[in-house]
Amino acid sequence: MRSLPILGFVVVVIGGPTACRDDTPGSGIVLRVSDWGSPAVESAFMTVERELQEGFERRHPGVRVRKEQIPGPGQYAPKLCMMHVAGSAPDVMHLDASSAAIFIDNGVLLDLAPLMKNDPTFDRSHYFENVLDITRRGDAFYSVPLDFTPMMMYYNRRLFDRAGVPYPKDGWSWDDFLAACKATTIVPAGARQPTQYGYNFENVMPFWMPWLWTNGGDVLDPTGTRASGFFDGPASVEAMRFLTELMVTHHVAPTLAERAALGGDAFLNGKAAMDLKGHWMLIDYRARGLDVGAVSLPSRTGRPVTVIYATGLAISRHTRHRELAWEYVKYMTSAAVQIKRVASGLAISGNRQAAAHYAADPADDVEHAFLRAVDYARPPWGSRVENYPYCESLGEEMMEDILYGATSVEEAVRRTAGLMDAVLSP
Amino acid sequence: MKAQGRSSGSGYLFIAPATVYLAVFSVAPVLFAAYLSLHRWHLLKPDHPFVGLGNYRALLANPLFRNAICNTFVYVAASVPLGVATALAVALLVSRPLRAVGLFRVLYYLPAVCSQVAISMVWIWILLPEVGLINYCIGLFNRALVSVGTTFGADLAFLRIDTSTDFLHQPGWAMAALVAMSLWIGLGPRMVIFVAGLQNIPEVLYEAADLDGCNAWQRLRYITLPQLRSTMLFVVVTTTIAAFQLFTPVYVMTRGGPQRTTDVVSYHIFKEAWLKFEAGMAAAQSYVLFAMIAAVAVIQFALMRRGMEREDVQ
Repeated sequence: MRSLPILGFVVVVIGGPTACRDDTPGSGIVLRVSDWGSPAVESAFMTVERELQEGFERRHPGVRVRKEQIPGPGQYAPKLCMMHVAGSAPDVMHLDASSAAIFIDNGVLLDLAPLMKNDPTFDRSHYFENVLDITRRGDAFYSVPLDFTPMMMYYNRRLFDRAGVPYPKDGWSWDDFLAACKATTIVPAGARQPTQYGYNFENVMPFWMPWLWTNGGDVLDPTGTRASGFFDGPASVEAMRFLTELMVTHHVAPTLAERAALGGDAFLNGKAAMDLKGHWMLIDYRARGLDVGAVSLPSRTGRPVTVIYATGLAISRHTRHRELAWEYVKYMTSAAVQIKRVASGLAISGNRQAAAHYAADPADDVEHAFLRAVDYARPPWGSRVENYPYCESLGEEMMEDILYGATSVEEAVRRTAGLMDAVLSP
Repeated sequence: MKAQGRSSGSGYLFIAPATVYLAVFSVAPVLFAAYLSLHRWHLLKPDHPFVGLGNYRALLANPLFRNAICNTFVYVAASVPLGVATALAVALLVSRPLRAVGLFRVLYYLPAVCSQVAISMVWIWILLPEVGLINYCIGLFNRALVSVGTTFGADLAFLRIDTSTDFLHQPGWAMAALVAMSLWIGLGPRMVIFVAGLQNIPEVLYEAADLDGCNAWQRLRYITLPQLRSTMLFVVVTTTIAAFQLFTPVYVMTRGGPQRTTDVVSYHIFKEAWLKFEAGMAAAQSYVLFAMIAAVAVIQFALMRRGMEREDVQ
């Protein structure tokens, strides 16, 4: 008898939380949707998203959309993987193209092709084909595009005007780029380092990898199984040497230490004339009052090239609400919803009609430059090769070695290509 | 007999939650990790082939893992002696009958109750070039030099210190910065344990030493330190174990860089598990870390026990 209160306490402690679950029978269907956003830093955007979700809930009485946010760099993919392994993956997932392969190639996601085919209200031609194909495997489709951005070269018009340098144009070369960098770099007399740089180099591989492509090089072979012969190939090595020389030889881009001293993003702070970034930065540039233009990357091959990063909506293979999840995907990627969703300028809508809505002004050359890039942009390796995010971390460590002068470009690249091969080997 | 049986039944009921908790969240994962380490276990792949000691052989042949082991030992070798010595020094200070000593104890303990992530963010700012607290103070020093030089007509420019040092991005400085931060974070708990140890030393020993004419150093050398032996052993072993498991500051502040100089074993395990999803290899690395910690702890116990026995003989 004396043990009864203790037993009761144990029952309450263990049973209490179970009894408090909010998806008990009778409370309607809860559709779980995951993304990597954080209400703390993107409150305005999240408010819009919540309003759009409420619109979906009104169309489907008895259904509640529950957003599961997993913020933090590098947290989203591991958490989703664990949720999948534990059998508790969300019904709908925001899928980042740069790490999509890990989910697609391991059976985490539902093939949407049958749903697309059997749904007369869905039309694939409403979406940018290039973007839709990022998560395509043969006839199988694993996501519907929400939004995307090609990486483009931004330039600060005011700094170009001040230096008397004409704005760059599509089809420009590395030599044109270097000349513009030199012309816009300002070193005051007697100063040890520039107060303004031509280019804001950032050691984030997704930001500098497209330079390899502009010289005809690449990170991996076309099958995505080997880095040696490509990452350490002459064209790639030359591209990486060109980048490092911008900092070390020409002093037209801040070194890693100088960049930190400038307070981070030198372009955003108005202390660099050019930067290679995506559409999302427009929000910050406009907030800071920067007058920016956008142009394709300078190329040595005569052909424009860049990488396209995208977000799509995917459905878990184990969802219990397949039809409802598909309805949600269609709703969120529809033109009417997308026009509201991308109003902030965070990215370009994957829906052609919504994208055209924001490119209606012929004078908006930035938006048009981004849209032109869709035709020639390539998908990121992470959408094809599941271990590629680890290769990127190796690439960033390598670039650090080079920039601190610990090793030559050739030696660092050769060694890193070997490490990448080991990571990619089955 | 009946009463005794009922009593032991209640006892089992009381220890049941903790036992179940330990079994489910500590013992079972440790055993499962051993099982994982013997398999090629990708988190999302259906096949998990048995590879025996293959994972261990592969990681010991991996130069990046060997580098992580070296970095870990460098960190332990620097942070443990400095951390213990600093904590002992502060404990000796706050054990004196000073005014507002309670306030000092709280202040020294404060970092221990803060989130390591929050502390790491603050230290990122402290260590920034030019605008960070350390470089800002160096700048003040440089300006003071100029003033002194102007006043006395001397050229003191050669004494100026560079304020653009990026402590977290320069290979020579990053590990030192982590060690400095660890002293600050770990100071409070270690200090409290030393203070407790100091309070257990009988006052009569110090009175006898005073009568014998001992100075402060002799009191410390021949009374305080010998009386703190068991406390010291506890602090050294727990500090060493914590140092081997360094993770949060590396994750927040350096991400293993620059040039992998702060890529310690715990962070390496994290990357193996959550960037490559290779749970088998990560488990093998965890067991290597466990073996390192166990070996060092055993050596520490043996050395300190031998020291105690030697002093007892004397």
